[in-house]
Amino acid sequence: MKKLLLALIATIVLFSSCEENGEENPETFGTFQLEFDNVVGSQNMSLSDPGSGDYMYTTDSGEPFNLTLFGYYISKIKLEGPNGELYEDEVNVSANADEVKGYYHVLESNASSRFITLDDVPAGSYNKVTFTVGVEEDGVQEGAAGGVLDPAEGAWFWNWNAGYIGFAMEGGAQNSGQEEVVGDGWTIHEHSFSFHVGGWKDVEPAEGEDQKFVNNVKTVTLDFDSNVSVAENLSPNAHIIVDALKILDGVGVDFSTTYSVHAPKLGQPFAEFIPDTFILDHIHQ
Amino acid sequence: MTTKKQYAHLHILWMCIFFNFSCSVDKEASPDQAYVFVKPDNFPEPTYTFQNNPVTKDGFELGKKLFFDPTLSRDGSVSCNNCHIQGTAFADSQQHPLSVGVNDQRGIRNAPSLVNLAFMEEFFWDGGVTHLDFVPINAIESDFEMDETLANVVKKLNADPVYLELFNSAFGIDKITSPYLLHALSQFTVMMVSSNSKYDKHMRGEGETLTSEELEGMEIFSSKCGSCHSGELFSDFSFRNNGINDVFSDIGRAGISEFDGDVGKFRVPSLRNVALTSPYMHNAKFNTLEEVLDHYENGVIDSPSLDEELKNGSQLGIPLSEQEKEKVIAFLKTLTDREFISDTRFMNR
Ligand code: HEC
Ligand code: HEC
Repeated sequence: MKKLLLALIATIVLFSSCEENGEENPETFGTFQLEFDNVVGSQNMSLSDPGSGDYMYTTDSGEPFNLTLFGYYISKIKLEGPNGELYEDEVNVSANADEVKGYYHVLESNASSRFITLDDVPAGSYNKVTFTVGVEEDGVQEGAAGGVLDPAEGAWFWNWNAGYIGFAMEGGAQNSGQEEVVGDGWTIHEHSFSFHVGGWKDVEPAEGEDQKFVNNVKTVTLDFDSNVSVAENLSPNAHIIVDALKILDGVGVDFSTTYSVHAPKLGQPFAEFIPDTFILDHIHQ
Repeated sequence: MTTKKQYAHLHILWMCIFFNFSCSVDKEASPDQAYVFVKPDNFPEPTYTFQNNPVTKDGFELGKKLFFDPTLSRDGSVSCNNCHIQGTAFADSQQHPLSVGVNDQRGIRNAPSLVNLAFMEEFFWDGGVTHLDFVPINAIESDFEMDETLANVVKKLNADPVYLELFNSAFGIDKITSPYLLHALSQFTVMMVSSNSKYDKHMRGEGETLTSEELEGMEIFSSKCGSCHSGELFSDFSFRNNGINDVFSDIGRAGISEFDGDVGKFRVPSLRNVALTSPYMHNAKFNTLEEVLDHYENGVIDSPSLDEELKNGSQLGIPLSEQEKEKVIAFLKTLTDREFISDTRFMNR
């Protein structure tokens, strides 16, 4: 309802401003694409089958591992320019999948999900992109949502501590202490690992109290090395590298003891390195 | 957001603007008062996101059908109604302190009464769920590793022409997705407002008055219990340890806050309809209100997270004479809402 009212007000405001400013040049728009390229250090990322004992990657500390799942939510994308240009991607949560806006579930297993095209960016020059990794409180607290936020359609959702998993990687590691667990229709493989980073509650600890809850939703800002023009006939693209090793080496993960992370506090050390994981590689003008 | 009703509202709004007369989309426009959410005068503002999920007759009736339908369980044997029964204000039946088994940390928990959910900010004994819409996912999926179960329910519903028709008329959709399933359930449960107890009618001056024993009980209650069971919902919805245990197989709030000091703390429950919702406490420790009062008087067990409120006197707990206990119980019984438990809107007819 609020949205309808807003739309009405907007229409009225537009209507009256049209009359007054009829001579102004109409604003033009262009597209801007973010491409997320997942890598493991200097190697391309490729996913293994769960349970595979082939470890094609190694951490800094020499631990062999592979990946079977890798992904994250991107939301609240914002472009800024040197002269005050500002574009904020529309964000909306709705039960109707078609009306869910501004939340993107980027998955290594789904090539097209790695490209986010913003298509109504006002023409102008931009030199900075900001986005959120994960789903913040305002996204969770709207209630049941569709599309990439629908838990029945692959959304990463924690039921028991309601909220979305913002960043996850799963795989196998030679030294992982995980034992095989076979359930009703599911298996946790021996030597596997699963790191799910979630938690959105931002509660300031009272004086003298320890931190309760953990907010693992992170904001990433990437500066471009030059200005990028957005215009009707251009299609600029920012190539962003997402390096799994930045997290694993940052945490200094020892798979023999750390192989199952499924709660906000356990995920906190991982979340600290999320901002380092996203690196602007280059811009295509 | 695409129901026919809303388009109707939109038309009315447009008319207001075009003809430049002031009008409001008021209750006259809605066909049936029975499906309008009404905040009782003596209640706080609701927290539910009605703007995303306005209650309609079709949505409510669909939610009701789902609530009573064992299709929602994996083996087709259990419906929401198995653990939430109207006669006990949608708590479980007296003999069954039931486990929800969501993950290993969560042992056996007593199913709470489902009333006045529209006014709550956190659900479950540990407050792990922060929006009513998300509550049923826990009930539907008994183990958090099995993410497809909600998907399976959606699949089963999509294969049922009756449900396809009902979801279409409630939400204008051709394919059922989980948010609409959850919205329908919320439309049903959010309407479970219990506000017509003898106590309410007394407070609102609607022709019922509490007896002198009940009034004295109310006095004692508000001075001795009201710091935690406060306000018109009889809870401040904080998380506290009221001394029922000193060993915590179920760590309660600490499972969500991940803070050691919260081990053994549970949500202060609302006491509305409490005479109907035995057994009591998250672990169903007590069967009668007398046992509960005896607990507060002389059974409080010390542990590091025990609430400061219960450490005031020379002895742990709350000083209460036998007479005072009886009066408090007499008062608690005035919180029973017979209209609510016999409200035909919630019955599976
Ligand atoms: C096997 C028994 C069982 C079934 C079936 C069940 N519930 Fe529950 N329900 C519980 C228990 C136990 C709790 C408390 C869980 C906790 O605190 O961890 C609960 C809590 C709730 C709450 C939160 C109440 C509050 O005050 O926080 C709601 C709402 C609810 N259930 C709705 C439903 C709906 C809707 C369904 C059907 C989809 C359902 N339940 C099916 C046992 C059950
Ligand atoms: C320090 C805060 C506090 C005070 C004071 C307090 N309670 Fe409670 N009460 C709680 C908490 C917390 C629970 C739930 C505990 C649990 O299940 O682990 C509870 C549970 C109950 C229940 C069980 C309700 C249910 O649905 O299971 C009843 C009945 C009750 N209290 C009555 C009283 C009465 C009567 C008094 C005053 C004599 C009182 N309480 C004082 C915190 C308090």
